[in-house]
Amino acid sequence: MAALITQAPILIIAIPLVAAFLTPLIGMASKKARNALVIVSLVFVAFLVFALARDVVINGIHVYTLGATSPGQTIPTGFMVPVRIILEIDAMSAFFSIIWSIVSLAAAIYSLSHIANETGQTRFYTLLLLMVTGGFGMMFTGDLFNLFVFLEIASISGGALIAFRTRFGDTQEGGFKYIVVSAIAGLMVLFATGILYGQYNSLNIAILAQAIQYTTLDQIALALLLIAFAMKTGMVPLHLWFPDAYSVAPASITGMLVITSHACMYAAFRVCFTLYGAVIDAPVVGWILIAFGLLTMFIGVTMAVFQKDVMRFMSYHAISQLGYMWLGVGVGLAVLGNPGLLATYGRDAMSGGIFHILNHAMYKPLLFFTGGALFHLTGTRDLAKMGGLAHKMKWTTILYIIGTLSISGIPPLNGFSSKILIYESVYQFNPIFTVIGIIVSILTLASFTKAFHSAFMGAELPEYKGVKGVPRSMIVGMVILAAGIIFITLFPAQIVNWILHPAADALIDRGAYINAVTGVIP
Amino acid sequence: MTHILESGYAFWNPIVWIIVFIVVLIVVYFFRRRGQKEYKKDTDQTRIFLCGGEVPEAGERHIRVGNIYWGFFETLKEYYKQILRPHTGIINDYVLWFVAITAVSALVLLIAGLAK
Repeated sequence: MAALITQAPILIIAIPLVAAFLTPLIGMASKKARNALVIVSLVFVAFLVFALARDVVINGIHVYTLGATSPGQTIPTGFMVPVRIILEIDAMSAFFSIIWSIVSLAAAIYSLSHIANETGQTRFYTLLLLMVTGGFGMMFTGDLFNLFVFLEIASISGGALIAFRTRFGDTQEGGFKYIVVSAIAGLMVLFATGILYGQYNSLNIAILAQAIQYTTLDQIALALLLIAFAMKTGMVPLHLWFPDAYSVAPASITGMLVITSHACMYAAFRVCFTLYGAVIDAPVVGWILIAFGLLTMFIGVTMAVFQKDVMRFMSYHAISQLGYMWLGVGVGLAVLGNPGLLATYGRDAMSGGIFHILNHAMYKPLLFFTGGALFHLTGTRDLAKMGGLAHKMKWTTILYIIGTLSISGIPPLNGFSSKILIYESVYQFNPIFTVIGIIVSILTLASFTKAFHSAFMGAELPEYKGVKGVPRSMIVGMVILAAGIIFITLFPAQIVNWILHPAADALIDRGAYINAVTGVIP
Repeated sequence: MTHILESGYAFWNPIVWIIVFIVVLIVVYFFRRRGQKEYKKDTDQTRIFLCGGEVPEAGERHIRVGNIYWGFFETLKEYYKQILRPHTGIINDYVLWFVAITAVSALVLLIAGLAK
């Protein structure tokens, strides 16, 4: 077991990558064997992720040096700096990888029925596994250039998956927009990496974090990195592509795309706290994040209330909820230089923001999956053409209600736990921000009630009398996420103490991250 | 093992809330049990009554999404007019926003850096 955990960082990336290329080969022989390969590989990866995360929380940061005689040998004999690719997993990366493993598994199970009638299923699963590889790579890499590479892997496979259902015109448009936006964001990340490499002669995040001076070029690189990742997360006003792309993808992929947004948020946190942590103008960057976070919350939700397309409606809500995370972490960053305020409410605000990422990763894919189930049954995304579907979709209705109560922050569900942490800590920073947060929550509930009434309530409509119910594997995919919601609902304190505080501390304590590579406390 | 989540000013215990919720459900069930015993499902008792008039078909009486919160949208008409303006659907505009926001953020950081 110890050897397995030592090799876990690379296995978690390599298993889905190898499975991605095996999928077409096995798919030629048997569809069932191909599907089994996808599910089994993701189950095994999820097991490795949980084992690794447990070990990280107990024993501290894991490093894995590719090509070294031992994974911990970050600096080869005779060298002053690392020259090999290093994977570095702290509590923050472990936290994000847990989310990614659960959602990708749920999405793969959901896809078994959701895309059962589509052509090109083998390509779908290959791309899905490549996307999983890209996501884990982004979370585990300790190297800026590899961050760019894994971002590209996740983006290209994501774009192809958005355009997967080629019989619809809007999927091609959505896929095209996603690829253009991702390519521009990726190029900016590459440009910023080049700026930093040119100055400090290294691509390793820990080494760069130790050497960074915050020169004018560093400031430009920070802006490029931050805004590129912010655009990928759908931060307002860079969100415009988000509903166009997310609403047309198969629902299982939309659920996964939400987590790739989280991976980009992780990258932004890594840049702000670890890479630039020692030199960053924390109050200024913190306030930038807070301002954009508030805009994202409010504009996201008001646009959501307005929507009549169920998947666009869900997409705007995904944007709005991301605002809470930026707000919580922004407040933490704004007071990073003040240990008193950081201890009083900064750490709680960050934990609340990170907690909201976890909750969002459970209820948002669940809601997207329910939207996908509505599309599966009715063949339309237009809420105006729906009604009375609770008669046909009892399980989906219950799961939608769970997701709705959770996203709206209604107690006792998990959304409330993270929102109360954000509200109360942010209140001490500025009470108006909490008021805005509560208004956004009310609007969220109002808009989900509207969609609920439109799609599920009322008498059974004649046009849907003969349709069959939602297939079992789609229900199983949704139940996995609903079980996650219930678990977090029942044990919020344990989640905060075991996972979220270590994750927030990993961001604050950049010295540990650097020390794991260099062996020297800066 | 404590279920209490400390949140700065206050605390949150979902177990207490769930117990209260279950008690409320039991009370509601108690009142429901005391209701009309003569109620018969799928008879005239359950038919919709609209002043004796003809009841429209299911599709016609369902309030569709476009009619919900009409007053809200009417009140915020100007807000929505402004907020919908950048949502052009044109990728060139999206990229322009990206360039503009990156430039403004870089400027803010540079000015803040100079002022330091």
